Amino acid sequence: MQLVIASGKGGVGKSTVTASLLYLLKDEYRFVAVDADADAPNLDLLLGVERWEEERELVGAKVARINTESCIRCGICQERCPYDCIKVIDGDYVVSELTCEGCNVCGLVCPVPGTISLDEVRSGVVRKTTTRYGFPLISAQLDVGRPNSGKLVTEEKEWAKKLMGELGLKHMIVDSAAGIGCQVIASIGGADLTILVAEPTPASLSDVQRAYKVVQHFRQPAYLIINKADFNPGFTKLREWAEAGGIPILGEIPYDRAIPRSMSMLKPFVEAFPDSKAADAMREIAERVKEEILK
Amino acid sequence: MQIAVSGGKGGTGKSTVAINLAIALRERYDLVLADLDVEAPNDHLLLGVELANEEPVELFMPRFDYQKCTRCRKCAEVCEEHAIITMRDGTPFLMPNLCSGCAACEIVCPVPGAILPGKKLMGHTYLTETPYGFPLVTGRLLEGEERAMPIVSRAKKRAQGLEKELLMVDTAAGTSNTVSKALEDSRLIIAVTEPTPLGIHDGELILKLAKLMDIPAMVVVNRSDLGDVAKVREIAGRYGAEVIAEIPYSENIIRSYVEGRPIVLTDYPEAELFREIASRVVEFLGGGE
Ligand code: SF4
Ligand code: SF4
Ligand code: SF4
Ligand code: SF4
Repeated sequence: MQLVIASGKGGVGKSTVTASLLYLLKDEYRFVAVDADADAPNLDLLLGVERWEEERELVGAKVARINTESCIRCGICQERCPYDCIKVIDGDYVVSELTCEGCNVCGLVCPVPGTISLDEVRSGVVRKTTTRYGFPLISAQLDVGRPNSGKLVTEEKEWAKKLMGELGLKHMIVDSAAGIGCQVIASIGGADLTILVAEPTPASLSDVQRAYKVVQHFRQPAYLIINKADFNPGFTKLREWAEAGGIPILGEIPYDRAIPRSMSMLKPFVEAFPDSKAADAMREIAERVKEEILK
Repeated sequence: MQIAVSGGKGGTGKSTVAINLAIALRERYDLVLADLDVEAPNDHLLLGVELANEEPVELFMPRFDYQKCTRCRKCAEVCEEHAIITMRDGTPFLMPNLCSGCAACEIVCPVPGAILPGKKLMGHTYLTETPYGFPLVTGRLLEGEERAMPIVSRAKKRAQGLEKELLMVDTAAGTSNTVSKALEDSRLIIAVTEPTPLGIHDGELILKLAKLMDIPAMVVVNRSDLGDVAKVREIAGRYGAEVIAEIPYSENIIRSYVEGRPIVLTDYPEAELFREIASRVVEFLGGGE
């Protein structure tokens, strides 16, 4: 079973909830965890990972480069670049490596053959470790300024699938990227179900609704966990939205200082503060996940 | 002139800083705020306005005229996104989800009219008046679409088109190339971070990107009492950036957020912190009245 945890945007506590859920499931279930937020991975930090057992470089991103020797400075490439990535610096036409999407339109329209080349560059790393809790974690880190393609996530999931075969693991639990772009689509696509995490604020509601549309696009069931549930008591719209849409609410986690404190300790909050009210709520949620989802 | 508010990690309070800073700066500059976090734009919610003046962002998408197409496969070969597949006899088909709208296929197609310019809707941009005396431009990616870049670039152009004295951009989290696109042309980046290990880790990446782009950065530490600000200072120092404000975790900020009243306009003591950030920015830019 492939289960994804998503939120539509960072900052609502998705990764802290994921880390605690993994902690609570680890003794009874055999799974591989995947951190699919290659732009800002942090599950490894929350699980206290100190070193990676294996790292693979991912090349595949492409960027255009202009040879200033043969360039006749006609400006056609700049005019035609669909993403405005070509600038004139000190009279030379230069591709901004940090924004280029690698589509090669500039190379096709340049009248001087060989002036523009499309070079493969490293887009990031995919890496694997065994956490101190015993389950393996696959994570990735996108290099600064590279296109945020879903390819890294696809690569991670393929590696995770291989591990499942090798180690006889039954489940893949994916901490999805923030947003709704290609990484999220690559995370949710191919999964069996998605657990959404949101907090009761208009911004989080709007974000999670957008993530839910992606889930619907893939015709998957969705569940909801409400984090910081008591932090905005007048705001009932999140609950109402879930109830109206038939999205089962797995549980509500109250706002608890134990959570930010556990983050500084680099431990799941259910491990660091097992007596906190947040931990109580999280244990109830884990029970429901076991009974209703993982069965 | 452009400045940017960015932050490595989502949820660090970047949008709160952006809108309050915009409100504080409007007295000094004629400005526009651009929300370029197109996957999850929220500034309008924080400002309490409904998005208005919607404009579609449509991308080129090839449509094949099979009467004219000679099945030469050139279009499929050139497509970097592998969005065109060909049948055994060379007949091209498009997989719309993969297409980035770059039009490379149209450029190489040797038969005039075999590829027609179809269109696909990727998202929208909005231009909304706010009650605070500056307009907000928002880019919003359609759910199920993958490519944020065209929306970021179009929304930014729309904001630039207003030709205000100051363009303030609020970027997405992370350091991917859409964030670089939003940051491009900025005179200053305000990096919002938290002093937690996660915040510090992601905050460092944004400072790295600022350095690569050769843009000066200043750091605002949000929820500064939840971790080790000295550590943030140390890392900021390494990248030549200064920590210009520490905003402690505050019920007042949450309250003002829930009430839909930007904190900088309240009498809460935290308002002063945002006014100070604004004066540091003004000092740096050396402009305004
Ligand atoms: S490869 Fe595409 S995005 Fe990059 S500079 Fe050339 S035209 Fe622009
Ligand atoms: S199209 Fe080619 S020759 Fe013309 S400016 Fe660009 S790189 Fe130079
Ligand atoms: S527009 Fe670009 S991405 Fe789309 S099919 Fe043509 S070459 Fe491929
Ligand atoms: S390049 Fe033009 S003629 Fe050749 S297969 Fe594609 S559409 Fe047909």
